[in-house]
Amino acid sequence: MKVSDAATPSANQSQPGKTALRPLDIVSRGWSWLFLLLLIIFFSITGQGFLNIFNFQTIGADMSLVLIMALGQTFVILSGGIDLSVGFVMGMASVASALVMSRIGGGAPLFVVVLAGLAVGLGVGLIPGLVNGLVIARLRVPPFIVTLGMYGIARGAGFILSGGQPVSVQTNGIGQIGNGYLLYLLPDGRLSFFHLPSNLQGVRPSQIVQLLPFPLILLVIVVLICAWLLSQTRFGRHTYAVGGSEEASRRAGIPVARHTILIYMLSALLASLAGVLYTMRFSNGAADVGDPLLLTSIAAVIIGGASLFGGEGTILGTVIGALIIAIIQNGLIFLGINPFWQFIAVGAVIILAVLVDQAKKQLVERS
Amino acid sequence: MPDVQPILQVKDLYKRFGGLVAVDHVSLDIYPGEVIGILGDNGAGKSTLIKMISGAYKPDGGQILLNGEVVSFSTPLEARRRGIETIYQDLALCENLDASANIFLGRERMRHQLGIFRVLDRPYMLRESRQVLDQLDIRIPELRNPIRQLSGGQRQAVSIARAVYWNAYLMIMDEPTAALGVPEQLKVLELIRTLRNQGVPVILISHNMQDVFAVADRVIVMRRGSKAGERNISETSENEVVGLMVGAEYTRVIKKIHDASEEVRFTTHDESE
Amino acid sequence: MEDTELGNKSLSRREFLAGTAAVLAGGSLLAACGGSTSTPGSSSTNYTFVLIQGVKGDPFYVTMQKGAQAMADKLGVKLLVDGPAQFSATLQAPIVDAYIAKKVDVMIIAACDKQAMIAPLQRANDAGIKVISVDTFIGNGDYTSGPVTFPLSYIGSDNVQGGMIAGQALIKSIGNKGGIYIENVTPGISTTDQRQQGCEQAIKATNGAVTLVGSNYDNDSAATASQQVSALLSSSKGTKVNGIFGTNLFSAEGSAQAVKNANKQGQIKIANFDAPQQAIVDLNNGVVDLVIAQKPSDMGSTAVQYGVYALTGKTSSIHKRVATGYVVIDKTNVNDPASQAAIYKSS
Repeated sequence: MKVSDAATPSANQSQPGKTALRPLDIVSRGWSWLFLLLLIIFFSITGQGFLNIFNFQTIGADMSLVLIMALGQTFVILSGGIDLSVGFVMGMASVASALVMSRIGGGAPLFVVVLAGLAVGLGVGLIPGLVNGLVIARLRVPPFIVTLGMYGIARGAGFILSGGQPVSVQTNGIGQIGNGYLLYLLPDGRLSFFHLPSNLQGVRPSQIVQLLPFPLILLVIVVLICAWLLSQTRFGRHTYAVGGSEEASRRAGIPVARHTILIYMLSALLASLAGVLYTMRFSNGAADVGDPLLLTSIAAVIIGGASLFGGEGTILGTVIGALIIAIIQNGLIFLGINPFWQFIAVGAVIILAVLVDQAKKQLVERS
Repeated sequence: MPDVQPILQVKDLYKRFGGLVAVDHVSLDIYPGEVIGILGDNGAGKSTLIKMISGAYKPDGGQILLNGEVVSFSTPLEARRRGIETIYQDLALCENLDASANIFLGRERMRHQLGIFRVLDRPYMLRESRQVLDQLDIRIPELRNPIRQLSGGQRQAVSIARAVYWNAYLMIMDEPTAALGVPEQLKVLELIRTLRNQGVPVILISHNMQDVFAVADRVIVMRRGSKAGERNISETSENEVVGLMVGAEYTRVIKKIHDASEEVRFTTHDESE
Repeated sequence: MEDTELGNKSLSRREFLAGTAAVLAGGSLLAACGGSTSTPGSSSTNYTFVLIQGVKGDPFYVTMQKGAQAMADKLGVKLLVDGPAQFSATLQAPIVDAYIAKKVDVMIIAACDKQAMIAPLQRANDAGIKVISVDTFIGNGDYTSGPVTFPLSYIGSDNVQGGMIAGQALIKSIGNKGGIYIENVTPGISTTDQRQQGCEQAIKATNGAVTLVGSNYDNDSAATASQQVSALLSSSKGTKVNGIFGTNLFSAEGSAQAVKNANKQGQIKIANFDAPQQAIVDLNNGVVDLVIAQKPSDMGSTAVQYGVYALTGKTSSIHKRVATGYVVIDKTNVNDPASQAAIYKSS
């Protein structure tokens, strides 16, 4: 039966914006933006030196590890699951890439070393992701339990791989990439790309203006790719569908098992990328470098508006969630108050995020 | 009766679960453009019969013919591909997605971006969804909202629209009005009539006698796995149907109750085939 | 109007642009007013120091903070104190970066990893901040001729020596024969690794009379240490253990707990590196036999002193390596004033 053109004009609109934006709409959709802006304003006023481009660039670069991890976590949580193993997968990848880079380094050109470290780090990290996905999808074990088990396995594997000790990377140039900037501006007006120029007569390091740290550039690229993946591709839509109703997705012909496996592999891939980035930034790799970031990665996703039950959330939300946490941590240092307040602050924001979400749902139901 | 091929023919369908015979040699024919109501008490075998037609169960005996051709489905997806669409009681919709995403669920339309990337073709899917909803005279004010914001009846309508869009030969609906308020029930019945008028046969399972009598052309009554009776709606009454549902031994009790309230005549004899 | 969908929650293009514009506009407007690009804290009487601990809440670092604060008050400088929630370079690095942006004059730091913290501290140094290591070092601790030389000084215990002292005392207490087990923290922390090294040297020096039964890492968790030692004592190796050396506070606490639970206090001698109040209580109750106290208070005060020297040009008074000493406390001298003064404070 063909769908013919309707004889009468469509009763169904798809043009939003015809109704005026009620204040409620702005608050409910944009609350995290607003909150972020308020935080920035607050810390700028109360802390001298908070608001300048150098601090923000550093915040961005330091935030890159946890945000890359949180991007993977976003996909997993959207599909109705959770991944507790990402911290130690990040550690495994950092160890693997450190081992490779320190073995090859010195003899080979820099980009080969980086490529090798990246390939091995990502490759090693994909294995836990595959296992997670298979057990969750085929053996039907709940994600919380599976990834909790993998938390332990990846931790042990990481320590075994590293021989119990952190693995240091002495290769010249690796640290420069991890800590480097795209653009350097010298006091005499000279511009330099990718690395500092060699003749730095009489120029003190503090006089050089550094712009666009590499980790931040990488972060932006990864964020854009993930946003595209989630909103434009079939994979992204299926992620929302499975999170909304696994049964409905199955009946609609979506290959739920295969999709689940891919989701957990994606999460592991991003955690591994964070691990390789860690190695390049800190010039060493160890099994436990990612562990402190696990809960923050989940918090960022939740503050960003995702539902822990799946089906709701966006990449942009996670980015804002991570920014809010990073700004609170940084801003409190400038405020100069007892650093323990930072824990309370982040915890309070998580609860606030969930409350706003609840309120939003209730208001929608009432209208 | 015109010389039309039945769209669906079920011959001697049989299914048992362990010691229990759920469907006991049931046959029926369904012609284009008719609504068949299947009635029966709990455990009568209606669901099992339907699940064999929709591919959720494999029959233990008998045949299913679609347009004269013997078919055998190993999964519901295969049945769907052959044009048998089932609207389940729980709708099988994703509440967090909008109407057009649900209509195209699993069958998303893609387009090329920058020549190489395959991305969702949202404008196409929205346009097509709007058209099919208009065609069925379903009103949804904001197509882009997640369907959890729609009423139960509207969600039911989206489910039906999905089946229609993908060229269902045959629609099976399992308790479509169960969770709806009265105005919405009427709306759904309206939709079923529209479908029938467009030539799509509908098999309707319902506990609600009034619904069945409102839209069905024929009614098939099941009792304890077998077909207790088959009637044209115009030639029967609710009482007769109830009698078929509960069987001879209970009809005397019912007759007593009815006699107390009004003079009613109804047949009591079995018509197992 | 086509919507931009970054995810399934439709954010109309208008809203998205409005949001971004607001944040950027607000941000740059304030940036124009705020934030200076001057070199670190120029005024000569208004120096700001920061002490970045290895981890928040640890009595060792609290004691260090007290020593530093006392010297800071005496010399008239402002002292900020901060530290990561866990002993981890991943968490410590952003703290370093924040204080760089805050433009402190001197950064006194107990680095969580001797390799990983090189890059962040190099950044601090490049920004003109004076860097002083306390307790743990970066590189190999030799700031004169080692791989890392930019920090002003490494002020901390000679941990190899400390481990050796602990080992020797422990060996003596078990009668110069038997087996010793070492409960350590996390590989890669310069101090605790060296303590294990020193203890192993002491064991080797007995020429076989005393053997190393084994060692393990508890990740700075007393609970984990307790589990590991309990498991050890229940295992076949359990009977071979005559003495346990806990290389830091939590390791020793956990080991002591496990020994107590196994009712072996007094039978298994325990050497406790680091002297929080609990260790002294354990000593008095006979659960541990030796407490080796470092001098974190001295580390803190010396570091602040050195920072002021550096800022006022008295660089000749700065030594690249200051080995702070130990106080070995046992039942016989626990009530002496020197021992009492060496006990770490929790607040």
